[in-house]
Amino acid sequence: MKRIVIAAALVAMGAAAYAQAPAGPPPMPPYMLRPLAPEGDRLKSGRDGKTLFEAQCGYCHLAGGMGTNLLTKQQMMAGNPPEKGLLSNRDDLTRDYVKSVVRMGKGAMPQQTKVDLTDAELDAVAVYLGKAD
Amino acid sequence: MKLHLPPRVSPKQFQSAMTAFAGVVGKDWLMDTDADRDAYADTYAPGSTEEWPASAAVAPASVDEVRAIVRLANEHKVPLWPVARGKNLGYGTAAPRMEGTVVMDLGRMNKVLELDSTLAYCVVEPGVGFFDLYDQIQREKAPLWLSVPGNAWGSVLGNALEHGIGYTSYGLHARNLCGIEAVLPDGDLVRTGMGAMANNPAWHLFPMSYGPTWDLAFSQSNLGIVTKAGVWLQPAPETSLEIVWDIPKVEDIGWVIDTITPLKISGLIDQNVFIPSWLGKMVLKGQRKDFWDKPSAIPDWRVDELLKEHKLGYWQVALRLYGEEPVVKARAEVVKAAMKRHLDAAPQENWWRQGDPIGQYETTMGVPSAVPLQMSDWIGGRGAHMGFSPVVPATGKHVLDQMARSRKIIADFDVDFYASFTIGGRFANNVNMLMYDRDNAEEVAKMRKLFDALIVETAKAGYAEYRTHLGWMDPVMETFDFNNHALRRFDEKVKSALDPNGIIAPGKQGVWPAAYADKRGSAYKGGQ
Repeated sequence: MKRIVIAAALVAMGAAAYAQAPAGPPPMPPYMLRPLAPEGDRLKSGRDGKTLFEAQCGYCHLAGGMGTNLLTKQQMMAGNPPEKGLLSNRDDLTRDYVKSVVRMGKGAMPQQTKVDLTDAELDAVAVYLGKAD
Repeated sequence: MKLHLPPRVSPKQFQSAMTAFAGVVGKDWLMDTDADRDAYADTYAPGSTEEWPASAAVAPASVDEVRAIVRLANEHKVPLWPVARGKNLGYGTAAPRMEGTVVMDLGRMNKVLELDSTLAYCVVEPGVGFFDLYDQIQREKAPLWLSVPGNAWGSVLGNALEHGIGYTSYGLHARNLCGIEAVLPDGDLVRTGMGAMANNPAWHLFPMSYGPTWDLAFSQSNLGIVTKAGVWLQPAPETSLEIVWDIPKVEDIGWVIDTITPLKISGLIDQNVFIPSWLGKMVLKGQRKDFWDKPSAIPDWRVDELLKEHKLGYWQVALRLYGEEPVVKARAEVVKAAMKRHLDAAPQENWWRQGDPIGQYETTMGVPSAVPLQMSDWIGGRGAHMGFSPVVPATGKHVLDQMARSRKIIADFDVDFYASFTIGGRFANNVNMLMYDRDNAEEVAKMRKLFDALIVETAKAGYAEYRTHLGWMDPVMETFDFNNHALRRFDEKVKSALDPNGIIAPGKQGVWPAAYADKRGSAYKGGQ
């Protein structure tokens, strides 16, 4: 029963890409256009963490993305609402944890290089996501 | 990861090279700590990442910086492994073939230099990802579509140069390349095709050079570093129709291929038709343990149950047509009539017309997505995958023969069978996906032995892979044995002449420069 509830929630999140319900596939979520990365020197601090997160992590961590889909499932298995699959909705992440996962990878997420996200950019993203600090 | 030096380079020489590289790109873009080396390791390595260790990474921001580093690399005898965005997942990620090679990460060179809607092409640098190009097309509202691979996290040029495939009419990505700029192993800069003439406006339009045509000599290659290229794009069609058939039985793949291939060759179907087996759908529905809780391969009786429970066929054909509505309708009738000769069930039909929204996972409409990487979660743990990817003639006989062979070998190793065939024309790319937990040493060892067996037995039958992981580049090259490996001898003669110091990507695809000839096979442990 729990799995059925989760499957329904994933559809609601637009995450179950190909999980076909008896009546046919659920409507796919629309493509999430990422913002342009903020202007400025990638090596300097002070650029906007939210925009950086959406531009550089948005491949997988916007609505319907690979990371969001897997995290939604994990969060629901832990009894949390599906919205917590979006990292931007989490309030239990620390800055250090965010930095560690980005650099080391976790589960299906590969590690990110400094070309993917510089240390200064990672600091800004960690401040944006690390609401538990 | 600890430092592995390149062959015959002392710590002092290496440090001297790093200082010189940093002088070109700035110290922040020269990455040589243990953590940096980890960042450039193969994230899905079948075994220890230290089998294919980079010593450092350097990230130039311009063609001039690439040229300067190549010259310095020659001076210091430190080899380079160019990567576009370093997302060659399943084939080695960003890691180099030879230990101690410095990764040249071109991810900072990420400009879309041209986007031409009239003649439907773009010119991009290697760091431009599929998402980047797609976003720019959306922002400009350009009437252009991409062709994207299953996992579209990587680079447009990187994927094309690695012979990646997509699932639209432009799905043979290397064929979309037109007009390349490359830095040669001595630091010289060349432009192919009409680009060999300064300011020629047909550079990215006419696909041949005056004289020998070198464009694809830079693909799966270590002859140069591609710094920009033209890529042909699909004009956005007026309409598109997806026709979906669930194909009930495993052996049905024979008639499916024999039905679709002639229509593809004739031009009635212009899409690369992707035909995945059932497991391709299941990996998105949960984890393996949710459906089969034993380590042994899922038995046929359980597969039958799962197909019934989830209303799946063994295969699925989701064929897409593009163009003006009356033309698409007429083509659809021909395709449906051909399929109906073998399958009574009516297909599902999904029309799209200009102005309709396009869903996030519409790979066959050129929308980039990384969602197929969710399959990494199927096994659990630090999920990983490798694809065994032979090319076969696109006839039912060849496809059934290839499938029976690989299916038996995979079954003998007690591993789940997850195959797909993509009809690209007169040939089909067969990908046998092997999924494993990187932290399960026994499972990894089994996968390596299985991969060996697949290469050897498939070669005996006369077929070869089109692309492979770092660890098998030498064994796969070994299978190309005509006239005592004449192709490899030719490749290596050219390589050694152009690159006497063996600076660019030694060992790439099993092509070794004379300077490192003793390294052939050095990272391959024969399934150990």
